[in-house]
Amino acid sequence: MDIFNISLPIAGIEFNFLLLILIGFCVGVLGGFFGVGGGWIVTPALNIFGFHMAYAIGTDLANIFGQSIGAVKKHQKMGTIDWKLGYISILASIVGLEAGSQVVLILEKAGDIGSIVRWCYLFLMFGLSSLMFYDYFKMYIESNKTSSKGIGKNSAAEKKEGKSKLAEKMLKINLPPMISLPASGIQSVSLWIVIFVFLSTGFLSGFLGVGGGFIRMPAMIYLIGIPTVIAVGTDLMSILFAGAYGCFTYAMKGRVEFIAAFIMLIGASIGAQIGATAIKYIKGYGIRLLFAVMIVLAGCSIALEQIYKVTDISVYQSFAGIVLMGTAVLMTFIIITRLVLESKKEKKIS
Amino acid sequence: MSTKKILALLLFCFLFACAYGNAYAGEGAGGKQETAISKKIDTKNLSGVNLLIADLYNNDRMLYAVVVTLVMAVLGSIMAFGTDLVLKHFGMSVSKISHSE
Repeated sequence: MDIFNISLPIAGIEFNFLLLILIGFCVGVLGGFFGVGGGWIVTPALNIFGFHMAYAIGTDLANIFGQSIGAVKKHQKMGTIDWKLGYISILASIVGLEAGSQVVLILEKAGDIGSIVRWCYLFLMFGLSSLMFYDYFKMYIESNKTSSKGIGKNSAAEKKEGKSKLAEKMLKINLPPMISLPASGIQSVSLWIVIFVFLSTGFLSGFLGVGGGFIRMPAMIYLIGIPTVIAVGTDLMSILFAGAYGCFTYAMKGRVEFIAAFIMLIGASIGAQIGATAIKYIKGYGIRLLFAVMIVLAGCSIALEQIYKVTDISVYQSFAGIVLMGTAVLMTFIIITRLVLESKKEKKIS
Repeated sequence: MSTKKILALLLFCFLFACAYGNAYAGEGAGGKQETAISKKIDTKNLSGVNLLIADLYNNDRMLYAVVVTLVMAVLGSIMAFGTDLVLKHFGMSVSKISHSE
């Protein structure tokens, strides 16, 4: 495989060309489909395969920016971006992110908080996935009951709006100024509620040191009642701006390995288009289920990393890397398979 | 130009101004303290594109950041356009979709 190795002058290492394309492709598919940046896959993956952490983060951000452009364009075409919500999300998230990172800096003075952050990360990932699994199976049982009463299963699921009880309660809070989000099908919601949600998700991403796509997307669904596909598209729009900011600022600091980002982007752009196209064929609850599976597997990887930190047995770290990359490849495979099967089915019908 | 595009442009400008300031303040995206890498790349054994990039990196970090950001944007757009054409060829074109869950 050495013949595929290329020299990366800025990071000062040699890296496998095909591996870069593969990592980019997987993260592109996942990003376009789930509306996440995928930094939690790319950064550790690059690091595991020999990239210095200083360059892994910056290179990942440059890749996120490039891949988001095409995905956002595609989502715009499908009408799955709520621009108004996206702008509020960006501005409120910046404030929340700063607050979260300040808390980390304050706590760091008291000692090493890496372990606390990882535990919070784990709690959040397993908590979110449990909520999404519960929500999916509740819907599944309800739609089965409805279908046994004579209504088609799919139509029952489609008719159901999919708003959580919490979102319905949030939407009922009448705290002026009220705004409407027509693109998301929400007639009236308090601006303060929307700001509060994005401040909180921003705070969490600042505290955990992550981009936050995987927190914002479910928060939009379960706290504001945004339809899944709109949450995905709107989150991608926020990621595009955050990626542009990150790419520029990290490149200014010399932390972007240009050639690696360029090669990775070739795979990521193709992947992002495929992922975004798959949204058309997989219904909202299907996206939520796959998302829940993905974050529970990613959570397992972080748990292994945590065990490694506690026990200092390096085999756990290797396992963590394998689980992470395995998750990315597996989810990519599932999404592409579903896309191909569903599009074939659609062709047959038409 | 539509209001949506003007807003997007203004937001981009605002973010880049923040990024510029932030890079000099030594604080990176994600809120973590990230200091700039001051090392110079040894260009003795480099040639072609690698040399060009390393020279740019060594001599003008601001220009390097601009080039990286622009190239990512252009390559991302071109690749997306090409992939879209291929997907269309296989009958996977997209249009407005309904929001059923």
